[in-house]
Amino acid sequence: MHEAADLRDGAVRALTELVEAGADVVVMVSDSTSTSKIGPFQKRFGDRVINVGIAEQNMVGMAAGMALGNHVVFTANAAPFLVARANEQVKNDVCYSQTNVKMLGLNAGVAYGPLASTHHAIDDISIMSGFGNVQIFAPCDVFEAAQMVRYAASVDGPVYIRLDNANLPVLHDADHVFEPGKPDILLRGPQGADALGRRAVIVALGSVVGEAFAACQALRAREIAPTLINLSSIRPLDTDALAAVLSEHDLIVTAEEHSLHGGIGALIAMQLARRGIARALATLGVTEGEFAHYGTRAGIRKHYGIDAAGIEQAVLALVGAVDAAAEA
Amino acid sequence: MENPYSASEVELEAHARAIRKRICVMNAGAKSGHTGGDMSEVDILVALYFRVMRYRAEPLAWFDQFVLSKGHGVGGLYCCFAELGWLPEDELSTYLRDNSRLPGHPVRQKLPGYVTVNTGALGHGLPIATGLALAKRRHAGSGDMGRVFVLTGDGELEEGSNWEAAMAASHFELGNLVVIVDRNHLQLADATKNIMNPEPLPEKFAAFGMEVFETNGNDPAGLSRLMEEMDFRNGKPKAVVAETIKGRGVSFMENVAAWHHKFPNEEELARALKELDHA
Repeated sequence: MHEAADLRDGAVRALTELVEAGADVVVMVSDSTSTSKIGPFQKRFGDRVINVGIAEQNMVGMAAGMALGNHVVFTANAAPFLVARANEQVKNDVCYSQTNVKMLGLNAGVAYGPLASTHHAIDDISIMSGFGNVQIFAPCDVFEAAQMVRYAASVDGPVYIRLDNANLPVLHDADHVFEPGKPDILLRGPQGADALGRRAVIVALGSVVGEAFAACQALRAREIAPTLINLSSIRPLDTDALAAVLSEHDLIVTAEEHSLHGGIGALIAMQLARRGIARALATLGVTEGEFAHYGTRAGIRKHYGIDAAGIEQAVLALVGAVDAAAEA
Repeated sequence: MENPYSASEVELEAHARAIRKRICVMNAGAKSGHTGGDMSEVDILVALYFRVMRYRAEPLAWFDQFVLSKGHGVGGLYCCFAELGWLPEDELSTYLRDNSRLPGHPVRQKLPGYVTVNTGALGHGLPIATGLALAKRRHAGSGDMGRVFVLTGDGELEEGSNWEAAMAASHFELGNLVVIVDRNHLQLADATKNIMNPEPLPEKFAAFGMEVFETNGNDPAGLSRLMEEMDFRNGKPKAVVAETIKGRGVSFMENVAAWHHKFPNEEELARALKELDHA
């Protein structure tokens, strides 16, 4: 495994560089200075961090107002309290009003693990996707997070960036250039069929891309070399390019620390169905049938099969199903 | 920058009367609209746009800014824009129609520059205005600060987000923020005191650290004088509890909750216009 780093450090570094370069950036927090790891930025540009207290609705509303007042505004608070508590402010004040607000959804997915479901955001991609104009990104490593923050500041209008509190494996080079809309192919399976004639592709979201990467390494021992797509740009998304890559494969596994409703599994299933691309598909994520499973983050990932072992198993199961179908 | 009109007391009254007549005609034509709230807020809008707010009309540039938090009162705003010459008179007949620039709540993409922000869901304007006031102060440095005026309904104050913003406005010492409450005492279902009593309202704002003014909200000249005399550099956000009459100006609309979301029929329109002509 590569070295690991915290996405927030990349984001905060990028914010610092933006101000150094002359951008009129302010960062709004709701008592989330430690959650956002904004300290180094605050130390240098104290008056550019605005803490509204534990009042997420007001944070987002004020952010929209500050953007109308010509600031480049970033909000930085825990994703569950952004997308749920301040949902209507995100919808109306930021998205509908098309204000220049960049929302950092901290500790998304089940990052808070045993703090349980009040603190989980397994619906942020789904909720944001329902607001038609906001750009939606989920970086998988620190370099991508920094690139996305820079990009967000360079475009006018709402942006959502899904962040995390874990040290996530660094899968890009330091000079990686993020291209909005482009499916990011981290690993390329054999161009032809692999040794046993099967071609697998895994599509993963943000915090579990590292798990998928580890699954790919484990699968090599079985002579399966999947393609790995880091679907970090949810909107915009070049769905033609995505479909082209998917259609080169026999089986597809999606993995996300997110509900299966409105996440990347649903997105890909819709693209395949719309285009009449028939492939074996397994979607891994938070299933319905219970409100939420309780456990440590590792335990929750294991429960939903979105850890490396679960993703590996899903690929093997699909391989078995494809093989069985071929023999029949 | 000054107000481009700096209207006199007589002119303010004339503008208010003309706007009220337009509201009746527009809502009768649309067979919809929030007539009661449109009518109660007219004098506040007139005071702001024709006397108090500093902006340039041609080409449009804002120094002070306005946020309509009671977005359902947009009919009053459109009719005020028509009085200002910003909307052609005949365009008011497109209110609420397909492809109109005049939806039932304000949409900034429809009237760029004129509508500050998209409201309609209640309790959004004050947080936005608080952020805008903070941005204006930050950018002004030691210079003249732009001011932000936000108009809320009184029923709207039941939304908790207002009080998050009130706390923040005081905390950040936003003396350039003025929240004006269109205190018409009525909301959709009944009198505010029967639904969720907001009293003592002035004391609530004061307890949140705001400088409170109680005034007649249907007196545009009085409202103008009040706002002209405010000290915007004292670090205290202002709350104006503007006592108004819902449906103001037409006897059979006044203080009747049913007129919250009711439009005049042909006969009612004729009576309303006659009353306003003789007011």
